[in-house]
Amino acid sequence: MAEQTTIGAALVVGGGISGMQAALDLADSGYYVYLVEKTGAIGGAMPQYNKVFPTNDCSMCIIAPKLVECGRHPNIRIMTLSTVLDVAGRAGNFTVRVREYPRYVDVTKCIACGQCSGSCPKSVDDSFNSNIAKRKAIYIKYPQAVPLKYQIDPQACLRLKNPDKCGVCAEICPPGAINFNDRERDHEIKIGAVVMALGFQTFDPSKAKVWGYGVYPNVITSLQFERYLSPNGPTDGLLTRPSDRKPVKRIAFLQCIGSRDKNRCNNEYCSAVCCMYAIKEAMTVKEANPELDVAIFYMDMRTPGKEFDRYFERAKNEYGVRFVRSRIHGVEPKGTKGDLRLHYISVQGKQVEETVDLVVLSVGLETPDSMVKLAEKIGIHMTPDRFASISAFMPVHTSKRGVFTCGAFNGPRDIPQSVIGGSAAAASVSALLAPARHTLTRTLPPPPELDVRRQTPRIGVFVCHCGTNIAGVVDVEEVAAYAATLPQVAHVARNLFTCAQDTQDLLVQEIRDKGLNRIVIAACTPRTHEPLFRKTLKSAGINEYLIEMANIRNQNAWVHNQQPEVATAKAKDLIRMAVAKVSSLTARKPLRIPIAPSVLVIGGGVAGMTAALNLAQQGFQIHLVEKTTQLGGNALHLFQTWNGEHVPRYLKGLKEEVQQHPLIEVAYTSTVLAVSGHVGNFVTTIRTGANRKRVIEHGAVIITTGAKRYIPEEFEYGKIPKVVASIEFDKLHMHNETRVANGKSFVFIQCVGSRNQERPYCSKSCCTHSIQSAIKLKKEAPSRQIYILYREIRTYGQRERIYNQARELGIVFINYEMHGPPRIKKADNGVLVEVWDHVLHRPLEIRADVVILAAATLASPEAGDLATLFKLPLNSDGFFQEAHVKLRPVEFNVDGVFVAGLAHYPKPLEESISQALAAAAKAGRLLARKEINLEPNIALVDPVLCDGCGLCIDVCPYQAITLVEYRDGEGNPLKTVHVDQVLCKGCGICQGACPKRGVDVAGFTYAQIEAQIDAALDQSCVLEEDA
Amino acid sequence: MIYEAKVNDLAEEFGVHRNTIRNWINSGVLPAQEGPGRRYLIQWEDYKRLCDKYGREPRIGPDPATVGEAAPAPRSNGAVPAAVRLEAKVNPLYTAPALADVCLACGSCAGACPISGVDDLDPRKIVRMAFLGLDEELVESDWPWKCTMCGKCEVVCPMNVEILQLMRRIRSRRERDKVPPAIQKGVVTCLEKGNNLGIPKDDFLILLKELGEELAGSSCPGFATPIDVRGARMLVTVNSKQPFAEPDSLKWWWKIFHAAGESWTISSEYWEGVNWGLHSGDYSAMRTIVKRIIDNIERLNCKALLLPECGHAYYATRYALERWFPESLQQFKVYTVFDLLLEYLAEGRITLDPSVHTRLATFHDSCNYGRKSLKTFGHGYFDEPRALTRACCPQYVDLAPDREENYCCGAGGGAWASPFWAERVFHGRIKARQISESGAKLVVTSCQNCRDQLQTSLNREFNLNIEVQFLWELVANSLVMAPQGGGEVRHG
Repeated sequence: MAEQTTIGAALVVGGGISGMQAALDLADSGYYVYLVEKTGAIGGAMPQYNKVFPTNDCSMCIIAPKLVECGRHPNIRIMTLSTVLDVAGRAGNFTVRVREYPRYVDVTKCIACGQCSGSCPKSVDDSFNSNIAKRKAIYIKYPQAVPLKYQIDPQACLRLKNPDKCGVCAEICPPGAINFNDRERDHEIKIGAVVMALGFQTFDPSKAKVWGYGVYPNVITSLQFERYLSPNGPTDGLLTRPSDRKPVKRIAFLQCIGSRDKNRCNNEYCSAVCCMYAIKEAMTVKEANPELDVAIFYMDMRTPGKEFDRYFERAKNEYGVRFVRSRIHGVEPKGTKGDLRLHYISVQGKQVEETVDLVVLSVGLETPDSMVKLAEKIGIHMTPDRFASISAFMPVHTSKRGVFTCGAFNGPRDIPQSVIGGSAAAASVSALLAPARHTLTRTLPPPPELDVRRQTPRIGVFVCHCGTNIAGVVDVEEVAAYAATLPQVAHVARNLFTCAQDTQDLLVQEIRDKGLNRIVIAACTPRTHEPLFRKTLKSAGINEYLIEMANIRNQNAWVHNQQPEVATAKAKDLIRMAVAKVSSLTARKPLRIPIAPSVLVIGGGVAGMTAALNLAQQGFQIHLVEKTTQLGGNALHLFQTWNGEHVPRYLKGLKEEVQQHPLIEVAYTSTVLAVSGHVGNFVTTIRTGANRKRVIEHGAVIITTGAKRYIPEEFEYGKIPKVVASIEFDKLHMHNETRVANGKSFVFIQCVGSRNQERPYCSKSCCTHSIQSAIKLKKEAPSRQIYILYREIRTYGQRERIYNQARELGIVFINYEMHGPPRIKKADNGVLVEVWDHVLHRPLEIRADVVILAAATLASPEAGDLATLFKLPLNSDGFFQEAHVKLRPVEFNVDGVFVAGLAHYPKPLEESISQALAAAAKAGRLLARKEINLEPNIALVDPVLCDGCGLCIDVCPYQAITLVEYRDGEGNPLKTVHVDQVLCKGCGICQGACPKRGVDVAGFTYAQIEAQIDAALDQSCVLEEDA
Repeated sequence: MIYEAKVNDLAEEFGVHRNTIRNWINSGVLPAQEGPGRRYLIQWEDYKRLCDKYGREPRIGPDPATVGEAAPAPRSNGAVPAAVRLEAKVNPLYTAPALADVCLACGSCAGACPISGVDDLDPRKIVRMAFLGLDEELVESDWPWKCTMCGKCEVVCPMNVEILQLMRRIRSRRERDKVPPAIQKGVVTCLEKGNNLGIPKDDFLILLKELGEELAGSSCPGFATPIDVRGARMLVTVNSKQPFAEPDSLKWWWKIFHAAGESWTISSEYWEGVNWGLHSGDYSAMRTIVKRIIDNIERLNCKALLLPECGHAYYATRYALERWFPESLQQFKVYTVFDLLLEYLAEGRITLDPSVHTRLATFHDSCNYGRKSLKTFGHGYFDEPRALTRACCPQYVDLAPDREENYCCGAGGGAWASPFWAERVFHGRIKARQISESGAKLVVTSCQNCRDQLQTSLNREFNLNIEVQFLWELVANSLVMAPQGGGEVRHG
């Protein structure tokens, strides 16, 4: 058979956050991407949310830059209203048929003016708003939609149903974009790999009348609640009772609606995200109105993720959210005024009746039928819970080679896991298609840049409403009018969302039309949004650094939301300062430097090996540094994954692959000693073995230094030999040691060293681990008595299946949260465990042959050293702190350094592997560029003012400054300093230290900052405002 | 400490009616003294005892400082109960994991059960005790007999725990002399004498004959009670309570049969359809009683069976037929009251006058015909009784919740015959509230138990001021009788 060529393009099915991430990573790594989305716009579920946990960031705000990035990427082709018909061929060379359904609006003509929608006579339920509002038959999915093009709903449109009717949109559309004769089109696309990011739908609670959804108007779903709270929602963030629009005083969240339920639905699994989003929603409303009574009714609070338990505790202790451990059986009406009655049992077993205004159903996630059918058609296997069947060892690989999967289609998961999955899928695709990298991508030459040096500043000020985030507090009209009065301001405009894609086009247009040469964006934070606007400036043909952002949201509207007048005044101040600064900004050029095409991976556990292997497969040189004498890390102690896959066999294979790969060089008994350089060009010194040193040059770093286990101090550990830690027990179990072989009674104790004051976090994998051990014990000998003493069983996602299996096998679960931890005593020939039952509230006594302690996972003690070397932050538990919990889960604010595995946070094997692949994707994406642009925010020395005193040399944390001696024209010896442009990070410490004003940081010069300060203190303005 | 409260406050606190509070005080269940301002003074200990009995959180603690706080966890309560030793179970109550092992202890069942907390027990605790092997304690407990076996707990259970099966096993395990006497006596009498109340054959036959003559003399000319008619299409059983206490109630069905021209008969022997073996957990009795009915059908060569007395009679008989005599189900058809009445209506054999009943009516779902039939036999009778009720009563309202989620009247599972009357009334408080919130003045039901509880107990206790009718009573009263007073007898 003839060798088929590998095609350097990929198909990503599903335009949610996971698919978008996969698309962006792939497109930036040198592959052309077709992003197929079944609705009219990408974005998936995230744009519907108000905020995201645990950071409480505005969801729309953080996703908007990614939407725009996808929308304008030259190597991503977005295909909306499209579905995949079939996939033929094999890995590396597939032919896909995609059906594109008619939009009835010509996207090349539509200018999204909205006149069509304004005059459309037909209104229908708006599914984007979870049906709490209406939309027209011709509509855009949401205001920031990408692509921002109208579409006609053929189910609703009068004209499409009857050619003699309506058609008003076509009559009034200014560019004549309406095309009622649009037809579906089939495309045949050749690609090398497929990424299935099919997403999820929320459970429809109207299937069971018992919760009153669809019966009583004041019972709503959590997604509807998000839309009520959302500043871009139909109520502008105002929450009222749906029945009578009266203020809400008492809210009850009911957990596990459509999850962990074999009765009302067949969703046995846990949806993994509902506990956290309920806490978030509860906190959000409590924050707005602390008087509200907000209760969350739950079974187990499943908050095992990073910073999740702290979030939970904060909601309970600081916000006063009530957490009631009782599953609510149903919702009943109370009276005729819309009140709702809950009848439940307290933990003590007493009846309680509560009346609430609003019931929020925390609906679970499930795979839509259409997606299951598509999966069947493509030929990928599904789990009994109707998610893509994946191996824990290959968490983004489907059963079909060349077809990858990510996001909630792989099982219910939150945004970071979906983002990680998207990147991980991209890494796997990159490894597969590496021979064809850069064969189908194109680079667009930047438009010629206008020289503004001789022009007088013509400043454009763009004031963002950010939905109601800003406009709900600040009087934006007044602010805009004020901005127009400022010197050199040539143009002022207001935008609903300045970051939306259509606004970028508008910005470009205004810059060109009005001849603007400096831009002030009065919106949010430059940390997340400046890169977006800089690209816009670039495409408009002016230097990307001629921009200043005035943060009138985070630092103004959000913090002064109770004082609109103060906020409006402050917004003016901030804009005045930005205008003052922007006028003296100068054009700068980023530094372009070549990237060393190699990666240093620190830590030879599963995460490290996975990242190393993937990057090697992508064709990069890898230096894998391992502190011990063997590869494998913590996985050496593991037996099986949650779904029963054999870890030792997998580990053996992985080690061999790593050891045999020609591009991977493993340094054993090695540690990192010193680091210098920067992204693209790190120079790292490692100590190998007996005090030998080696210097490695590399373009990127992946930190996979793992974690260590907690050595228990409680429960008589170390004193009674029959009390063992779970990892020790696994070994005993593996060898069927007498304690296990003859054991008749086993007691597992959970949360040993986790979730306490000292370590207020969940070790995430212990519940699953103990349950698995218990199941194995029970299956070996069903007569064994097995007890698991726990606080919250956190078998999140599809792991719930093993919890169910364990109970079915008769394993006894006893919750010790309420009555305190169990007591352990030595007893004749065993251990006596005393614990109180959480249902009967009576003491129980168990004679155990072995007591197994599920000990916590601790941050590696070496993390601190590495953090210092690479200038990385650690969280308060000692784990590496990623750049952004949601959208940058493997990156740091230090470029070129990535993290994966237990070094980031305790997690099970498949999540470590996913994260390692994601880190590899990021490193690969960086190295694929071959060249890197460094920020030109660097210190510039003025040789006239600098007298070479050298004060700055001592304070520079980056060793970027050196002393230079030279002679002037007359031969006099002079001194000055030289700043290494690459090493300098622009921190400005030198600027502060210099007594002569001899050094300035570009973009933050004395003059610019002084102008800002003067503007801030401008008395005339203050007086004017007072008057 | 003295707890001071008005009757109204106490009623609200315990979710019952003022009458119930007054009854408690008058009967000494709640020792209280009249105080100033129409308040009652109650010793804290007595108040606490009442709270414990009915599963309520006391509003005040023994120490005024703890007012309003949740009750402290038992560990800090001082009195520590003896530890339960967990060991491998010997001769356990159950072996199938679905009866308890799979329980999540989520509390749904206990939240749904109207008598949760009574005697400090609830369905979740019952399941837990069975799971942990506290079998003896369970068998000794009265709680499983206060339970009405309504199955609301099961219908809400996310793990489909078979709570009713478990409850029946607990009841089965009890020494027969400790079974509530009225129930046990009913079973024994039925086995010995053919019917629960031991009515002699002669008395029964005379009564039936006289009743038939009365009917013939009034609305159904030519009617004669068909006893042991061989070859009649349908065998109809009788609830012994009817000939014993309210014989006239038999005439409703007879009148309908007459109007419909039904070919039917009553057996002179073993005519009882009530089957309390279901309640007492006596499977052998249950089987024996059902076998007698089968024998009657075979002896009289009938093709169909109607058990008109009560939901449990239908449920027990059908259950027994499916379990022990599946071949019988091939030989004859088991009618529910609903199927039969709807068949008459559909075939035009009876005509109903919707102008007879003008008051707002509602239908109270029977647990046995409703959710329990749905679960056990695959069909619950929800739509059928509503269609019939609406055909008689143009003014109709549903209770909330209803159908599968309906609340039990409080008297099922043998509770009407059990000595735990106070708990039965307490159980019924939710039903009473549902009815009074619905505004219905006529409550239609398809069970003897439900009717008795609603009409004679809850109506009075909660001042409901309602009329309660059997569904067939409603139909009989709405019948448009042919001028000559009856159709031709059809032979099926």
